Amino acid sequence: MDAVSVRNLTMKFDEFTAVRDVSFDVARGEFVTLLGPSGCGKTTLLNLISGFLQPTSGTIEIEGKNVIGVPPEQRNTAMCFQSYALFPHLTVADNLQFGLKQKKLPHAERKARLSDVASKIGLGPQLAKLPNQLSGGQQQRVALGRALVMRPNVILFDEPLSNLDAKLRESVRLEIRAIQREYKLAAIYVTHDQGEALAMSDRILIMKDGRIQQSGRPDRIYKAPESSFVADFIGGANILDATVIGQVGEKNWRLDTKMGELTAQSDTPPVAKELKICWRAEKAQFGSGDLNTVTADIAHRSFQGNYTDLFFTVDGALQRVQLGEEAGELSASITFHIRPEDIIFLEAIK
Amino acid sequence: MTWRSWLKIGLLLAPGLGLILIFIGSVVYIAIAQSFGYYNLAGESGFSLEYWAIMFDRATYSRAISYSLYVGTASAFLAVAFAYPLAIWLRRPFSGSLMISAILKAPLLVHGLVAAFLYINIISYHGILNQLMQWLGIWDGPHRLQNDRNAVGVLILQTWKNMPFALLLLAGAVQSISDDVLDAAADLGAGPWDRFRRVIAPLSVSATQAALVIIFIGALADFSFQVIAGPVNKQSLSQLMVFFKGYGRWNDAAVVAVTLMGLAIVGSGVLAVFSRFVMRGGRLK
Ligand SMILES: Nc1ncnc2c1ncn2[C@@H]1O[C@H](COP(=O)(O)OP(=O)(O)OP(=O)(O)O)[C@@H](O)[C@H]1O
Ligand SMILES: [Mg+2]
Repeated sequence: MDAVSVRNLTMKFDEFTAVRDVSFDVARGEFVTLLGPSGCGKTTLLNLISGFLQPTSGTIEIEGKNVIGVPPEQRNTAMCFQSYALFPHLTVADNLQFGLKQKKLPHAERKARLSDVASKIGLGPQLAKLPNQLSGGQQQRVALGRALVMRPNVILFDEPLSNLDAKLRESVRLEIRAIQREYKLAAIYVTHDQGEALAMSDRILIMKDGRIQQSGRPDRIYKAPESSFVADFIGGANILDATVIGQVGEKNWRLDTKMGELTAQSDTPPVAKELKICWRAEKAQFGSGDLNTVTADIAHRSFQGNYTDLFFTVDGALQRVQLGEEAGELSASITFHIRPEDIIFLEAIK
Repeated sequence: MTWRSWLKIGLLLAPGLGLILIFIGSVVYIAIAQSFGYYNLAGESGFSLEYWAIMFDRATYSRAISYSLYVGTASAFLAVAFAYPLAIWLRRPFSGSLMISAILKAPLLVHGLVAAFLYINIISYHGILNQLMQWLGIWDGPHRLQNDRNAVGVLILQTWKNMPFALLLLAGAVQSISDDVLDAAADLGAGPWDRFRRVIAPLSVSATQAALVIIFIGALADFSFQVIAGPVNKQSLSQLMVFFKGYGRWNDAAVVAVTLMGLAIVGSGVLAVFSRFVMRGGRLK
């Protein structure tokens, strides 16, 4: 039995459809990330699962029980709010214990859970303060702790780390995962930080305009995006229009593109004669090769520390190549090649 | 602070605060002084505890105190009790909510005397209420509803008149609580009653205190509703004061006036502390 099971969920606000026909499952103990651009319906989806909103159509099951019409207080879910939503009149300790008191947990157990979560997310010294006496990042951690301490069947995180600095984010991220694993919570985690999504998730759901575009394990999403939206959104792949002009052997196709003639290798055939293809900036091999050699004028470069991004234009659109040390030697132009298996077929051009 | 800055603050405050203090202070001073025998308009002036002593022995006085306290407290609580659910209901705008809250505030525009007059018209022996109940077959004959012994009429009028005021204060407080905060409470397992008890009430303590205290003070000193719709066998403190004044007994009237002010202060304090204590779940801080 899945912890959460969503079927054909649609949410309309008057004329505007924020979530359309969304279906997915989250198993017990699974960590699923919802990734998508601002306004794509992530918070709305969490609000539907929590019960703050009633869907226009579709069903939601939690632990096998249909929860449509069940008020939020009777659903075994806990949410870490994007807006924090702390109780302004209660101290940090009382905010963290709010749900535990509601559950009438014995005093000792409450205290144990409180001090446990407070130390894990670094709020120990702040327990007696009121929310308006905390920094933004501290408030965010209270919101996070208030949900974690509940250990519900289903835990929902709405961008819980957006206000933390890089180092703290890293450590809190590990704590979230540790707590989630320890208590086998089904987690749905919203973020628009793709690095976070790739690093934390068992599975990623990519949303756009209220729909799920693609779902799968992080490495699958990265290696085999199915559409140019996903390829671009995760890892900013280079996307080109291509025309299939011939097949070589069983798995190789010859393509005509604005970057010249390319050969792609794929287990699945292209979906149409005219289609989008992509390749990853870090897959560019320095120097010329047997196939797919490209020489281009460098438009600009941007040093990123352990690598350098070099940009050139193809038919007006910027393409990016990622190189290591060797980028330093280049001045005006670059020659690189792409291995055929690094070229990925995407959707057809309409 | 140096004496110079004190002087500066004093001079800055003098035109506003000074005037208020002089006006209020002189009235209060005269009332207190008269209750102790000074400024006697009819006889000899001089310090005397006689007026208080005699007053304490009067049954009408102690009855008026308990009656006025009853009207003041009951009105304050009833008005707030009716206003709270309305404030919560009207928290989020919906189509027609603006209209409803405008209608609910209409009593603020109707003068108390007019309201009392209309009310006794409706409930009078041959008024529409009696006729309606008989027509519906619920009552066999007309009932005597006017000037009832328990001051139900006065309480209805006080609540009707003061509820919009409480609503105004409470709506402001309740509207400032964000949806997310209430959602968070529900998410953590709090049903409607617990959300009220643990979030809405503590976050609207100040507004509730203000509403209770202001309505209490007004209703404690009620005169017009009492004269028109109140029980004939009981007098409110204001009525008693006017009664003494009518006979030129200024010192006795002053005793009642000082009593009224004292009760207003003490009662307000008690109400404020009590409501804070209850609404914060048994804590004062
Ligand atoms: N109560 C509402 N009434 C009308 N439209 C709404 C309402 N709530 C959300 N929307 C719309 O639904 C869309 C999705 O909103 P949502 O808050 O789910 O986005 P999101 O994916 O969480 O974005 P972000 O990453 O910026 O938080 C938005 O276009 C928003 O304007
Ligand atoms: Mg959001």
